[in-house]
Amino acid sequence: MKHPPYPLRANKAVDRFMLIEAIRRLGGPSELAQYTYFGLGGPYLEEFRLLHESFPELKMVSLERDAQTFKRQRFHQPSGPIRLRHVDFKSFLARYDSGDKKSIFWLDYHELEYWQFGDLMSLLGKVSAGSLVKITLRSEPSDYIGRDKQDQGEKDNEFRAKFGAILPRADAAPPTELERFAGLLQEMVQIAAQKALPSGTGFVYQPISSFCYKDGDGIFTLTGIVCERSRLKSVRNRFSSWAFANLDWDGPTLIDVPFLSTKERLHLQKHLPCGQDAGRRLLRVLGYRVDVDRARAVAKMKQYADFYRYYPLFVRAIP
Amino acid sequence: MAKANPIRYESVNASPVKSFFVSMLTRDIKLEEAILDLLDNCVDGILRTKKRSGGKKPYAGFKAEIVFKKDSFMISDNCGGIPLSLHGYAFRMGRANDRPEDKPGTVGVYGIGMKRAIFKMGKDCLIWSKNAEHEYDVHITPEWIANEDEWELPVKASKKSMQEDGTTIVIGNLYPGIADLFSEDAKAFKTELERMVASHYAFIIDKGLEVRINNSLVKPRPTRLIFSKKPRGKKAPTIQPFIFRTKTDAGVDVFLAVGFTRPIPSQDEIADEQEEKRYSSIEAGWTVVCNDRAVLYCDRSELTGWGEAGVPRYHTQFIAISGIVEFRADDASKLPTTTTKRGIDASSRLYLQIKNKMREGMLIFTDYTNKWKGRADESKKHIEAGTPHSFEEIKAKADSLPFRATKSSIPKGEQYKPALPMPKKLESRKRRISFVKDIDEVKSVADYLFEDENIDASVVGEKCFDLVLREAKK
Repeated sequence: MKHPPYPLRANKAVDRFMLIEAIRRLGGPSELAQYTYFGLGGPYLEEFRLLHESFPELKMVSLERDAQTFKRQRFHQPSGPIRLRHVDFKSFLARYDSGDKKSIFWLDYHELEYWQFGDLMSLLGKVSAGSLVKITLRSEPSDYIGRDKQDQGEKDNEFRAKFGAILPRADAAPPTELERFAGLLQEMVQIAAQKALPSGTGFVYQPISSFCYKDGDGIFTLTGIVCERSRLKSVRNRFSSWAFANLDWDGPTLIDVPFLSTKERLHLQKHLPCGQDAGRRLLRVLGYRVDVDRARAVAKMKQYADFYRYYPLFVRAIP
Repeated sequence: MAKANPIRYESVNASPVKSFFVSMLTRDIKLEEAILDLLDNCVDGILRTKKRSGGKKPYAGFKAEIVFKKDSFMISDNCGGIPLSLHGYAFRMGRANDRPEDKPGTVGVYGIGMKRAIFKMGKDCLIWSKNAEHEYDVHITPEWIANEDEWELPVKASKKSMQEDGTTIVIGNLYPGIADLFSEDAKAFKTELERMVASHYAFIIDKGLEVRINNSLVKPRPTRLIFSKKPRGKKAPTIQPFIFRTKTDAGVDVFLAVGFTRPIPSQDEIADEQEEKRYSSIEAGWTVVCNDRAVLYCDRSELTGWGEAGVPRYHTQFIAISGIVEFRADDASKLPTTTTKRGIDASSRLYLQIKNKMREGMLIFTDYTNKWKGRADESKKHIEAGTPHSFEEIKAKADSLPFRATKSSIPKGEQYKPALPMPKKLESRKRRISFVKDIDEVKSVADYLFEDENIDASVVGEKCFDLVLREAKK
């Protein structure tokens, strides 16, 4: 099992805060007390720690199939009502019964396989209305870039054979760029969701936010809420004022926060938020580029302006 | 006692009820299949035109476009239109006995496809057609549908002129469930419809017909079988398909080919596929084609001979085996299809006879798979030495193969039986060892032996055996 160290995953850290922001919009403490969070938290149970700090009323269950990781989880278990379960997610899903109770699920996968969409479809059909479901998938275009034309053809065909049932176009080939690849994955999630909850069921998987980022390997993530179609308008209203909301299956937002020193961050933060044209403004404030390319430097400053409140600060600590 | 007068019974009304066609008949068919019926009409239109070219792309230049949205469905083609001589029959509910004989190869037999598709979707429909000098339209209104006594449909000269001979059908006043499918579930519906068109029309699209759904061009999904060249002058076994062909007394041409589409799977691949579904679509199994339409696609059930008469049931290990059987007849009623044209009439005598040959061919490849089981890597080089061939390419190749007549068996015809490479007898001294252990224990041993717990389980097992063998030999 590979678990990259958290200080090297700044974008993922931002993504975790985006989930916190989405949950915040589900309701106040009394509403959140009705929810249970189910996650595949990994060895450090990082999101469980964050969730407990933000929403102490939330019940939480960690699902882990690997025995060694499960032991590490027990070691790292943060405070709070977390139930650690040593169980394979598929077995859990087969036995899962919502009992009409609301849930928050994070299907946090590190690969890209067809069965993951199957898991999502199965889960969407089981959770009760009002439940939040976040899915994270590997979105790495280089996995599908061939050595030569023949190899490329084989890789394209393999992709189509794997995902044909949920591809928006039968001849869709895996894009070679992160944002477009993530856009295709989002369409695949949308098709899977429509198949799991066709209009006749009266329920719908309403997207709330979607992002793509790269902390080494590319990642796509989408959060949505299962709700009754008759209540769609009020559900959308809850999220419509959020700057990062994606309620209409628009393309995923890129998270690409720049690596900045603590001194740089503190200097920039004095000028934030700074409204329109934030990238250029912060570049002027800094007085130098953090990328040789000017356009990329502006984009990175804009990213910082967008996500600075969620950018983790990793500092050396003596235990 | 005087005899009582016998009761006089009135005759009963046995005339058709319109709601039967509108509400009941439409339940027998999925929406996607109903739309395929409309596409069938486009293809039948092409067969009636004289413009159809010969050669490898007889349908080139012909187009059908489907556009669906929340409030309407449209299918438009340039496939010749409905001839005025047929328009009196095209709108009848069912096929009239006095209908003029149709062109060879058309599949419309029952006279319900177009009407059933219309009634399935909505209550209002306008049909425009242009055929030679005739341009007319027919309007089916909600009032006409509701009126049980009205069976006449007015035909009017078209106000708009069409550029090419063809037909356009626009359906409005959609039923709520259909409107939802075309809006809320539009992406999933389009994916499914496109997949069905790509598989059922693979042969026709490959031969030139252009089909667009909501502006995206449908690409065919033809099955390609591996065909290796035999080295000149040598009788070395190679990977080639089993082929059977015949022409029945009833005038049905049959051509059957079964073989490999890819290397046989390794044990790990089989285990992975069973545990976690890796592929959303598997192209293994039989595709049955009637007059260019695939009526059955990648079937892996008893309907196509799997699990019958000595052929094993389909299992993931047979993922590399595919077959195509083509029936071609000028008179579509001789073809072994069901009324939906998307299924096989399993009791058809012709089909049952041909199924014998399908099983015979399949056994060659299930046997090969079993013989090479556990040695997929060795077998791979035989299969990769060949190249994938489309059905048409195999038919062209067949002319140069040494066919043998099968006069004494049923069905009569001629067949080509390939000699596939088989493992050498010497290697039968080898034995397979497989066992199941707890994943954490496997990881512990992998970490101990390789300092990497993610090493493949089979490698860990083999290393354990080699270590013990070294000890045993001391």
